[in-house]
Amino acid sequence: MAAVATCGTGAGSTGSMVAAGSKNNVTSFQRRGPRASGSDSSYSRLVSIAGTRPSVRNGQLLVSTGLPALDQLLGGGLAVGTVLLIEEDKYNIYSSLLFKYFLAEGIINGHTLLVASAKEDPADILQELPAPLLDDNVKKDFDEDACNHKTAESNIKMKIAWRYQLLPKMEQAGPVSSSRFGHYYDASKKMPQELIEASKWHGFFFPEKSSSTLNIEPCSLTHGYIKLLQFIQNTIYEEGFDGSNPQKKQKNILRIGIQNLGSPLWGDDICCTENGNSHSLTKFLYVLRGLLRTSLSACMITMPTHLIQNKAIISRVTNLSDTVVGLESFIGSERETNPLYKDYHGLIHIRQIPRLNNLIYDVSDVKDLAFKLKRKLFTIEWVQDNYLRQERNIYPPGFSYLLKQKDSAWGEGSLQHSTFLMSFLAKATAFASRLVRHSEPLEQTGSGRALQAAGPRLWRDGRRQEAPGLLVTPP
Amino acid sequence: VTPSEGARGGTGRQLEMESVLALRGLVLLRDSVEWEGRSLLKALIKKAALGGEQVHILGCEVSEEEFRAGFDSSINSRLVYYDFFRDPLNWAQTGEALPGGPLGALQAMCERTDPGPVTVALDSLSWLLLRLPCAALCQALCAMSRQHACRGGGPAAEQLCVLGLLHRELHGPGPMGALSSLAQTEVTLSGTAGQASAHILCRRPRQRPTLETLWFSVLPDLSLDLQGGPPLESQPHPDPHTPQVDPASHLTFNLHLSKREREAKDSLTLPFQFSSEKQQALLRPGPGPATSRIFYEPDVFDDLDPEDPDGDLDV
Repeated sequence: MAAVATCGTGAGSTGSMVAAGSKNNVTSFQRRGPRASGSDSSYSRLVSIAGTRPSVRNGQLLVSTGLPALDQLLGGGLAVGTVLLIEEDKYNIYSSLLFKYFLAEGIINGHTLLVASAKEDPADILQELPAPLLDDNVKKDFDEDACNHKTAESNIKMKIAWRYQLLPKMEQAGPVSSSRFGHYYDASKKMPQELIEASKWHGFFFPEKSSSTLNIEPCSLTHGYIKLLQFIQNTIYEEGFDGSNPQKKQKNILRIGIQNLGSPLWGDDICCTENGNSHSLTKFLYVLRGLLRTSLSACMITMPTHLIQNKAIISRVTNLSDTVVGLESFIGSERETNPLYKDYHGLIHIRQIPRLNNLIYDVSDVKDLAFKLKRKLFTIEWVQDNYLRQERNIYPPGFSYLLKQKDSAWGEGSLQHSTFLMSFLAKATAFASRLVRHSEPLEQTGSGRALQAAGPRLWRDGRRQEAPGLLVTPP
Repeated sequence: VTPSEGARGGTGRQLEMESVLALRGLVLLRDSVEWEGRSLLKALIKKAALGGEQVHILGCEVSEEEFRAGFDSSINSRLVYYDFFRDPLNWAQTGEALPGGPLGALQAMCERTDPGPVTVALDSLSWLLLRLPCAALCQALCAMSRQHACRGGGPAAEQLCVLGLLHRELHGPGPMGALSSLAQTEVTLSGTAGQASAHILCRRPRQRPTLETLWFSVLPDLSLDLQGGPPLESQPHPDPHTPQVDPASHLTFNLHLSKREREAKDSLTLPFQFSSEKQQALLRPGPGPATSRIFYEPDVFDDLDPEDPDGDLDV
């Protein structure tokens, strides 16, 4: 009926709804839920856009970064309208891989891409994207990876009964389908050409767009940044991501990827000198954030912060970005010989997570994260997982037997195990396996009325010492 | 007549040199005051010229005669030399100089080259870095390889080689880091006791960078002579082996068990495990609770109330 078909358009239709209900003789209240697909374009409630999902904590719309493990660490994904800054590793191997995962995720989900680079042509970047792992292949790969892992483990006597098993795992193996939020990619294969051609993308290659070398006044944006901002603004306006054109078609997300921002190839000398034009990059980030907040877009920037000479700028840049992730690879550093790190390729530091419409952070508890690039997958794990897999007696000798057994009152999962031994062993294990930073503020979970004070100290005499964690190089 | 070990070793090293010195892209030759790099630069130029490549040289630090000394005439006729030493700012207005200064010369080099392998030698990149803004120089260097790729066939990575001589002590970490991030190969010159060595760091795209060390010397006719290793008089390790870091060495509790402790731990019977000994002990009618008893003799001050033996009723 006509009345039923238009019932979603506004408040004036309640009368018609009641009339319709009485005609159906079921009830006079009818649920204004989603109807048949014909009339859903005019709904004012949240329309589900492909490749996004609302956050479970505050309902913020999230997109996947292309790496499900990183999504988990960032609290579900990258929020739409925010900037994810990746601090590059020294040789720019892993950060460019994360960049490609981000773009590949956009292609799989059907988002529009905007790729900006001063070094490589965006068309070349898109040719190098990794191929997605599809349903039938990925289960086989995960199973064989898990089998390899288990056979190695069974050779080592596992006597750890601590609650590390109960901590959330970093990576969930599972089948992949196109309707899923995050996808897995095979770094050794390239994305099929037809997927790339079917996608919509805009490229910004700075050497082609720069017309002449202008004289730059201090404290203003460099030429390259101005051009890039204009390009982004035009794309957002023309494609209607900021709602300027009335949306006749399905809403979509714009994924912006900017590579090597701040490098000299953009015309910015922030990496070369200490006292150069130090406000250009920060102004750019400020204007970019304004553009993003008013449009349905998400941005990933990779920045070679290891080259920036003025350290104050790095902290300013961190404050101006929303989510900041730092990559540190072990190539060429002394950590390569450290047996803690022998299975990993580098460390991931989650430097900042935004507080969007929130008073509290969504920081994960785990601090010592390392990544490794396996044959096909990029995995992020907690460093202690590897360390504790070896047979180590980290408990005081008197209590180890209590924890070894499974089916007794003191075994894993029993109440006595939890309450009594936790309090003792929590201190010992925290001592051993965490970086103890006394200056770090505590996570304020709770109503906020009482400030959470620091936990119990480990030394009886009250002297506060820097506890020698396992990840601190010994003096 | 058997071929000597030395000859066979020589050809092996020759092949190794070919693979290592197959330098393409931007190559930084970082030298220092003790170990100069101009002779190595000239040796690489000679090798490129003998290999049939076009060679362009941007000479800024030394005069043209001094640079050409050492090359024989056949090679000298093949070198295309852009002189910025005699008159860098073009005050003589002779009209020979290229517009746009050194950057213009770099651009002109790309326009004048025919497609094919090209080697461009910058003598020196330090001179350019001190006089031009670093960002502009980086952009120009990247543009060179791109323009060459546009003009000729084949990817630029195999066609163009830009050798830049960089003096380490002249620049701070900022410009050096910026150029290193752009370079495909970095050759750092150092050495011990009269023997020069080159640490070659190759960054291939999407692969781990490789570091190799070559010991060499440049002969008077500008050919490279590779030695196998450091001279025998001084034998410091070229790469000091870093000792394995033991993360469990500075803790306040004991992580390692000695053999005796481990045996004791393994043989420990768990108190709540129902083993056969325990079963026998339970089944056997034992002496009972008579093993532990408390004997107490009440003395004269005890006032035991039979109805309230604990004495805690508030009466």
